[in-house]
Amino acid sequence: MLGRLKKALKNLVSEISNKAVVEKEEVIEKEVPKIEEKKEVKKVDQKSEKLTKITEEKKEKVKKGFFAKVKETLVYKELDLKKLEPILEEYVLLLTEADVAYEVAEELIEKFKERLKGKKIRRGEDEKKIIEDALREAIYDLINIPGPDLVEEAKKAKAEGRILKIMFMGVNGVGKTTTIAKVAYMLKKAGITPVLAAADTFRAGAVEQLKQHAERIGVPIVTKPYGSDPAAVAYDAIEFAKARGFSVVLVDTAGRMHVDVDLMNELRKVARVIEPDYKILVLDALTGNDAVEQARFFDEAVGVDGVILTKVDADAKGGAVLSVAATIKKPILYLGIGQGYEDLIRFDPSWFVERLLGE
Amino acid sequence: MLEGVRDAVRKFLRSSADYETSVNMFVKELQKTLIKSDVNVRLVLQLTRRIKERALKEKPPPGASRRDWFIKIVYEELANLFGGDVEPDVKPKKIPWVIMMVGVQGSGKTTTTGKLARFYKVRGYRVALVAADTYRPGAKDQLRQLAERVGVLFYTEPGDDAVGIAKRGVEWAKKKGAEIIIVDTAGRHRKEADLLKEMEDIAKEINPDEVMLVIDASIGQQAKPLAETFHKTTPIGSIVITKLDGTAKGGGALSAVAVTGAPIKFIGTGEKLDELEVFKPKKFVARILGLGDL
Repeated sequence: MLGRLKKALKNLVSEISNKAVVEKEEVIEKEVPKIEEKKEVKKVDQKSEKLTKITEEKKEKVKKGFFAKVKETLVYKELDLKKLEPILEEYVLLLTEADVAYEVAEELIEKFKERLKGKKIRRGEDEKKIIEDALREAIYDLINIPGPDLVEEAKKAKAEGRILKIMFMGVNGVGKTTTIAKVAYMLKKAGITPVLAAADTFRAGAVEQLKQHAERIGVPIVTKPYGSDPAAVAYDAIEFAKARGFSVVLVDTAGRMHVDVDLMNELRKVARVIEPDYKILVLDALTGNDAVEQARFFDEAVGVDGVILTKVDADAKGGAVLSVAATIKKPILYLGIGQGYEDLIRFDPSWFVERLLGE
Repeated sequence: MLEGVRDAVRKFLRSSADYETSVNMFVKELQKTLIKSDVNVRLVLQLTRRIKERALKEKPPPGASRRDWFIKIVYEELANLFGGDVEPDVKPKKIPWVIMMVGVQGSGKTTTTGKLARFYKVRGYRVALVAADTYRPGAKDQLRQLAERVGVLFYTEPGDDAVGIAKRGVEWAKKKGAEIIIVDTAGRHRKEADLLKEMEDIAKEINPDEVMLVIDASIGQQAKPLAETFHKTTPIGSIVITKLDGTAKGGGALSAVAVTGAPIKFIGTGEKLDELEVFKPKKFVARILGLGDL
């Protein structure tokens, strides 16, 4: 049904079923010790480590004695992978429908394969549930990348008397400016007033937008006329913070298509001039397969330390989280869940897995 | 864009396997490419099922090879997905013509409003812009700056009475003799009941001749339910796909078209005011399939 993915699934099924057969053979072999040695040596040569491990386990089982083994076969059975094929296919669709990029979904199936190898289940247990749990685990492991808590980082910077510089970037319209306002609000609530740098000197209305946010939240802002050098605005904001004893500077940058060379160079220049502690990529949760492209481009061109995903409240399942984690292996820090200042929450991997796969 | 489809066509035409096997292989490739381009998964399955059915059932006319016939079927079905063979009519059917812009936050409504103003101004129309986005800070300033740059009429009011501003703005523009009146509204998504209600109220009040849904090319699987909700609230008359200058494939926007049945009128290909093109579905699909102009 799905081309390459289905092929991958089929490989997975045949590979594991083959293995299941091999294991069964060995169990029989154990009961006829004479043939055992020869065959085992041959197989170890062929398949090396993994099989040795399995053989060790089998030896353990033999030691347990015949009765225990019979009991075990009664209680446990191998996963019937042929029967599972439609379930796996269903998950593939589920993942792509949740906006997990296609290539990432493929990779995930690979990881999943590892987890299913040699899995045994108790009789009477629901196979689908076992598979689902394994999938949950695989996804959790993929996205569980610890990232900085910006409030803690700001407190540390304040205590050490240095300035924490955070630069925000992303393509047009993902919600950079609003996200900066939310981060500013979060910091202010924690007792640390940040300085905003309106370094988007390109888009009409961008400076006014950030200015209004600054007024509402009650934080200082540094601006320059449209067309000014963004790096100069950012630099001025840092000088301003130094002079007035502020410990955090949040830098807004113009939205730019990641394929726009000139604008990417401009962004690189801002980063070079101010040397930010954190370069944060803002991504729209409604983005589909392009999330992978965006993450990769920004990471290669400027470097990404963390990601904030916006518009998660638009009923987006946020498969982009998975796409990003798998592509650039960078942590998701926060999620934007509305247009209010308080609508910014810490990213929690287990919460996310539940949302993605549902109950 | 959608280069995978072109590759699949090439492979199909060169394939030495029997017809049915080649068709199956092609359909699989097509599915993969479309899903990668963010076309709604269910729509992809529907589309490919139809292609397969037709391919195995329909007989080519005398003289045509079966393989060429198959490509024609694919072309037709894809073109249907994009809104058929008809080229969009961008000329106003009456004067004044009121266009209401709607879409998700950040999809490019305000910029597109500015681009549309330029598009019509260049074609000799007297244009007015109304800034009724009372939600996003700086939104009114943004549209004012764009209106000044293009040199068209502009109306807004302080305060957050979006419905009132839209209504009085349209009346004002009519009195000023504007022929094309474009109303920019706040960004909203399908879970924001209040904002959807506001959109409905504005539409009721100004009774637009055309509601234009602005969609970001990078939108993923949410495009379909999103367009459905928008369409239910105020029937969508036309669609603009923005940011086609990035790497996004625009498949999500396709899904939106299929749902609303509205034509894609324009595509946005950059941030500058003149980066707006009239969308020609036939040409577009032909390009995807690597067939040249048909």
